[in-house]
Amino acid sequence: METMIAAPTTVLNTVGLDTALPKSLVAKTNQAATAAPLSIDIQNVTVSFKTNEGVYTAVKNISLQVKKGEIISLIGHSGCGKSTLMNTISGMVSPSEGTVLANQKKVTGPGPDRGIVFQNYSLLPWLTVYQNIFVAVDSVMKNKSKADKIALTENGLKMVNLWPHKDKLPGQLSGGMKQRVAIARAFSINPSILLLDEPFGALDALTKSAMHIELLKLWNLDHREKTIILVTHDIEEAIFLSDRVVVLNNGPAATIKEIVDVPLARPRNKKDIVHDPEYMRIHDKLLGLLMHKLSIND
Amino acid sequence: MKKIISLQTLYAMLYFVLGMGLLLAAWAWVSHITKNEVPSPILTWKVFQEVMQSPFQNDADIKGIGTKLLSSLGRVGIGFGLGSLLAVPLGLLLGSNIRLMNIFNPIIQILKPVSPLAWFPLGLAIFKDSPKASIFMIFICCIWPTLINTAMGAASVPPDHKNVSKAFAFSPLKYITKILLPYTLPHIITGLRLSIGVAWMVIVAGEMLSGGMGLGYFVWEEGFNGGSIEKILVAILIIGSVGLLLDKAFIALEKKLSYAQ
Repeated sequence: METMIAAPTTVLNTVGLDTALPKSLVAKTNQAATAAPLSIDIQNVTVSFKTNEGVYTAVKNISLQVKKGEIISLIGHSGCGKSTLMNTISGMVSPSEGTVLANQKKVTGPGPDRGIVFQNYSLLPWLTVYQNIFVAVDSVMKNKSKADKIALTENGLKMVNLWPHKDKLPGQLSGGMKQRVAIARAFSINPSILLLDEPFGALDALTKSAMHIELLKLWNLDHREKTIILVTHDIEEAIFLSDRVVVLNNGPAATIKEIVDVPLARPRNKKDIVHDPEYMRIHDKLLGLLMHKLSIND
Repeated sequence: MKKIISLQTLYAMLYFVLGMGLLLAAWAWVSHITKNEVPSPILTWKVFQEVMQSPFQNDADIKGIGTKLLSSLGRVGIGFGLGSLLAVPLGLLLGSNIRLMNIFNPIIQILKPVSPLAWFPLGLAIFKDSPKASIFMIFICCIWPTLINTAMGAASVPPDHKNVSKAFAFSPLKYITKILLPYTLPHIITGLRLSIGVAWMVIVAGEMLSGGMGLGYFVWEEGFNGGSIEKILVAILIIGSVGLLLDKAFIALEKKLSYAQ
């Protein structure tokens, strides 16, 4: 708690202001603060599914604006609808109410401007590493020549240092390598928006940390122009990677509980960052938002 | 030193020899207690050698057993090929479309349990030709296992794979060639394997009905009507061995074409 008090008051104020205002107003203030065009604009989105027991509302009346090149984490408990919310951006799920704009265009389905990295990698097991990437490039980049497609595939594989493994099948790779293939696949189609659905959830802690740095490196190489939305339930991961962390309430009918800014300078250092008082403050805040019981005495 | 035969293969061979030995012993015993009503393995072996004198003789009135075997296999091949050409695409379609599946399912359920032999007279009425009627019968009986297995495979494509197709905007052709077919292939081959097994069983019975051709005719005319039980036994062994080889061939194909998980 001491770190919270020690934190710069300005940041505390903005966070305090955000929580005090209705969600729609928060969205407007965020938008007004920046003149840059929005990469993603989620407007009053509600997603309901028909089930055998009636209508189930996963997320309710959510608005969120994301600037170009921003990295945003969606964090919340399992089943709170964070993946559902992200799938409205990817176009895999259509909202029951409200609209989602990606690059100022209404989302009606999946599109090549949005690359997706799935939680379980979703590589096609009968295709080699190379073919897995090539088939995606070939499908999305219809107008490019074969030579260009081959170059893009090669480039994508070299970017994640998997060129020596290009002829292996996914079944012969470790979890971390599979996820690198999935990331290379998403980067190779050169989307302006990258959507990652609990991408590192199945990896061990060390591989996970290495992948975080790997992801930020790719983002840097691309001049920090890609917008990244990351679904996670890992607080450390969310802080290390993001510019803002969106905390969702527990479902059903989840709403945004709070949006927490992460004003830590980039490039961030895994080892140093944990000693940064600002990091500790944000970490405490997120922990407080997500957990009500912090010890057995609570 | 490089091992030519592994211990495992050696054991497999040993078990095979033991099994065959057991079969021969039981056969010899049955032959003994029926006082050679059922001919002994030795007598059968002599007839087998006789039959194998000129297996591929192909004169107008005398045809060798090899010629008959090939003609049976030929009809099975054509009927199986035609049946599979219909069953695989239809199975993929039904497996991918639940409405079509619901429409076709009752038809399949009614026609599937019908004995393939029941289709033979219908084929004869349609084609007025017994070889063609046999092919028709094989065609029909080869449809069901392949159709059902293919449809089950196509219906169980994991959502993860479908999501890849959606996320990277695969064209229908790309979805079929890169996801649907590779995923369904092991199911298709299992169906084909079951189909050829049924077809091989059915062709002999069909040829007994139609007469004048193939191994079925050999069993009936030269064996039973010709009064040579040995020939029946020879034919049974040949039919069994060929059936085993067909099955093994499809198992090999299954192994070769299945992707590593």
